[in-house]
Amino acid sequence: MTLKKTHNALIRPNRRLFLQGTAALAGASALAAPSIGRAQSKELYINSWGGPWLEAATENLFNPFTEATGIKVNTVSPVSFAKLAAQVRTGVYEFDVTTLGGGDIVAANNAGLLEPLEEPYPGGLFQNGVGSHAFATMMAWRTDKGWEETPQSWADFWDVERFPGGRSLQRYPARVLPLALLADGVAPEDLYPLDIDRAFAKLDEIKDHIRVWWTGGAQSTQILRDGEVDMIGIWHGRYFEAEDAGAPVDFTWNQAELDSAYWVVAKETPNMEAAKMFVEFATSPEPLAGFVAQANYGAMNPAADEFIPDSAKPRMPTAPGNVEMTFEQDMLNFGADPQEVAMRFDEWLAS
Amino acid sequence: MGLSLSALAERKTLWPWLLLAPLTIYLALFFLVPLVEVAIMSVTEPRPGLANYEKVLTGSLYRKVFLNTFGTALLVTLCCLLVGYPLAYLMSTVSKRAAMGILLLITMSFWTSFLVRTYAWMVLLGNNGPVVWLMQTLGIAEPPPLLFTRFSSTLAMVHILAPYMIMNIYTVMQKIDPSLIRSAESMGAYGKSLFRHVYLPLTAPGIANGSVLVFVICLGFYVTPVLLGSPREQMAAGLIGNQIEQFLAFGLGSAMSIVLLVVTLVILGIYHRRFGLDKLYG
Repeated sequence: MTLKKTHNALIRPNRRLFLQGTAALAGASALAAPSIGRAQSKELYINSWGGPWLEAATENLFNPFTEATGIKVNTVSPVSFAKLAAQVRTGVYEFDVTTLGGGDIVAANNAGLLEPLEEPYPGGLFQNGVGSHAFATMMAWRTDKGWEETPQSWADFWDVERFPGGRSLQRYPARVLPLALLADGVAPEDLYPLDIDRAFAKLDEIKDHIRVWWTGGAQSTQILRDGEVDMIGIWHGRYFEAEDAGAPVDFTWNQAELDSAYWVVAKETPNMEAAKMFVEFATSPEPLAGFVAQANYGAMNPAADEFIPDSAKPRMPTAPGNVEMTFEQDMLNFGADPQEVAMRFDEWLAS
Repeated sequence: MGLSLSALAERKTLWPWLLLAPLTIYLALFFLVPLVEVAIMSVTEPRPGLANYEKVLTGSLYRKVFLNTFGTALLVTLCCLLVGYPLAYLMSTVSKRAAMGILLLITMSFWTSFLVRTYAWMVLLGNNGPVVWLMQTLGIAEPPPLLFTRFSSTLAMVHILAPYMIMNIYTVMQKIDPSLIRSAESMGAYGKSLFRHVYLPLTAPGIANGSVLVFVICLGFYVTPVLLGSPREQMAAGLIGNQIEQFLAFGLGSAMSIVLLVVTLVILGIYHRRFGLDKLYG
């Protein structure tokens, strides 16, 4: 999808002038034109996921970065793909830096929303994003259901006879469709390109048992922790939150789906220099190691490995012993236009 | 010194406009300008033309979601009316003090944030919540799922919107001249027929006002149905959000917003012809 440049060029200057003028008039410049006011300042605005992500990022990335450079880091929530696009369209920036998953980064780069970056470490650049950390969508369940067996794979997730109870998956077809194919018996190495029709047919089987299609990380933790559903496809970090809260839950790395998060800089952001400095800092070995060790992610910069304590590894999807059981998402070999698949998914949901 | 009479008169007529100016400018800037931009986007993104509207008006998903949105809004309005009417009646019959007490209780829910109220319903209706516990205690071994159903989302929306209905009806009921009721009684109208032929018509403006307000506000609900509702029952606002957040389909999302706006305006228009929009403001 391409955003229309001519239209932007037509609207933007007028609107900006208009906003500046009227903002001065109303004495509300802070409201109307955040980027104008802070264009020169030594501050950086970063889009935050909140929760454990924010804690780990603040401690290991933001604070050390401020200490090293004197640039103050502010966070903006929630993470919004649309806002990234809207910023570039309007020229009014709320954040300079954000993270995108493997699915969104391809779409964002195609739409021209990302500032070109340099490769900070070998193999670290993908679609104008710098690889930061890997996270997994894995299967977790309540242990208080009285099931006789322990679920092993996505096929068990689909098996409501042996494992009766409510289910939940993320409302995000690019991550869910591969799980359906695995449940249908496709081997992980044969997944991509995806057989979209087969995946939807398999999803039909579980549809009535999915009580919630979760849309936010905190929501997924809550419904598992509070027992609103009995089995869930959940990001591993969000799962450990429920486990640490003392909920009777368990999980498996088997057939966990690895996705990567990339740091990206919003195209033409006024804080470009600081933004690029931050991305380089955040993906350099030591800060990244601290970040992933605290938040249980897998570091994508291999040089970070030596700084990661062994104690952190059992909870990392990319650690030896875990990573062999997982499979990786492949957005470049998806098998169809992800946008069209997502539209079809929406229609399927409502039908 | 002093102003001439005509200047004074002029000042008098200008004064209200001056007072209105900040609001007018504010609305024009922060409501009308973006709205016009949304309208422009709906016919220019991703390319000029009416393709977005064609999609919205003919696509089965969009039709389904719009129908569901209006259906839900109607259901919520009816529930608010059923809950609100008797309560408003009670308020109009008790002492002024008691009425204020009830009003306070009703409006208290406005003091907590929208999101907190929505999450509160999750706690109340959850599998480990008090409602399920009560049902189990009463001997229902397998209570039906309450959360993530049309029931839970409707309940929460009624809770949020009922005060609008109650206050509108109460205002009208309070103004009803008791002598009208007495004279109706003296003419032989009792019970049902008194209600049907006298009281109900007298309170109709309140019902209409409350219903329109509740209906229109409900059309735009986003968070509550997403967090509490069943996955199949999507509301238009949620779908619009999805178009933009997931697909960056600003044009399609804009077209849907405009369609929703136009339909809402049409409903308000019909209402205006029937009852007069000015009554909404008292």
